[in-house]
Amino acid sequence: MTPSAAPGGRLTATIFYGLVVAWAIVVWNAPIDAVQGPIQKILYIHPPLAFGAYLGFGCTALFGALYLWKGEDRWDRWALSSAEVGILLCTLMLLTGPIWAKGTWGRWWSWDLRLTITLLQYLVYLAYLLLRGFTEGSERGARFAAVYGIAGMVLIPLNYFAIDLAGGRSIHPENLGDGSLGEGMGLPFLLGILMVLASFFYLVVRRFEVGGLRDVEAERAVAAERGEGAVAQ
Amino acid sequence: MNLLGAILWKDLVTEWRQRDRVVAMAVFALLVVVVLYMAAPPGMGTEARQHVPGLLWVAFTFASILGLNRAFALELENDALAALAMASADRGFIFLGKAIASFLLLGLVQAFTSLAFGMAYGIDFWPVLGPFALVCGLGAFGLSAVGTLFSAMAVRTTYREVMLPLLMLPLMIPVLLGAVRATEGLLADGTLPWPPVQLLLVTDAVFGIIAYLGFEAVLDE
Repeated sequence: MTPSAAPGGRLTATIFYGLVVAWAIVVWNAPIDAVQGPIQKILYIHPPLAFGAYLGFGCTALFGALYLWKGEDRWDRWALSSAEVGILLCTLMLLTGPIWAKGTWGRWWSWDLRLTITLLQYLVYLAYLLLRGFTEGSERGARFAAVYGIAGMVLIPLNYFAIDLAGGRSIHPENLGDGSLGEGMGLPFLLGILMVLASFFYLVVRRFEVGGLRDVEAERAVAAERGEGAVAQ
Repeated sequence: MNLLGAILWKDLVTEWRQRDRVVAMAVFALLVVVVLYMAAPPGMGTEARQHVPGLLWVAFTFASILGLNRAFALELENDALAALAMASADRGFIFLGKAIASFLLLGLVQAFTSLAFGMAYGIDFWPVLGPFALVCGLGAFGLSAVGTLFSAMAVRTTYREVMLPLLMLPLMIPVLLGAVRATEGLLADGTLPWPPVQLLLVTDAVFGIIAYLGFEAVLDE
């Protein structure tokens, strides 16, 4: 039996899979960009992944702060879930971006303001996961990770100025939403955002449940060990 | 306040008696100078000199990581860190004592490394000594503040020496860029450019506050 503790688990899954199908159909039918060709369709997934990744990192910092404040385990589990899903979405974004860039700019990467900051945030939250993995004791690991997750978020405005100072020329398109999307391109973009948001919430909730089941399992193992010890004595 | 003084004094006296941290940092920084020089294109022309500010701060950063890794390693013996955490005074003072000690040691290493860089690349720091020291101080402040916080965490992870640079380096970019740009300006025409110094001041303030507040949560009960 698959343990599905979340009451709305099946509903969010249905919404998510429905959106994936709808998005795929709409993207397939969207007009092909006159200048960039079919590669422009990466636009329907790349920026939404960026929103999802930053949402994940922001939630990690927020839940980390709540954990430090309240001291309840569930906030830490939410923080870890958000970080993992944020990293996943950020990885996908960092994979789709260069594919688009190679086709349009002619090179895989540019040390542009926004790209550099995103890469740094990615590294920060990868270090966050490593820190958790390398810290013994879940309570201590949770505290360390919360502090680091918050510090990682505070860095964004500072890095913004720093990389601007370093001459991070912005060749990354900035003007989304100002009518820069051609006719027939708005709907797939919007659906892309909704799909990524749905996948974010779905995955975070599932990851949160898995964390809870692991805790229960760990407690059961400890209890069983104690029981055996008592019998042996 | 007494606790701050006591910890600072203890760290400096221990260092004075053993001299292992500063010597290791200085030798390492010197090695970085040599390695970077060998890795750079041959010759000591103006082109090579343009890279000096960046290389200098790479050496400072790596040396600081080496030193910070030791900052809390000593406290693990006999569980001194747990005893420190039980001290009745504000934990912020423990942080300040540790951070100031690291700051002073890094300052020494910076002076030594700059001398070595000056000799290797034929650069005279003397005419810009005051502003250069200010930039070094501001950079060292950022490195020591965040470094002390992360060192207290990294020392209690499984791979401590590996963990500190992983935690520190991505967060150090604003400090490094500010310091490198300021040093570049100083070495180019002898005047201190304001925007990088401003960035350093703001970053130092933000990092100082985060590290001071975060340290409370990093020590065990």
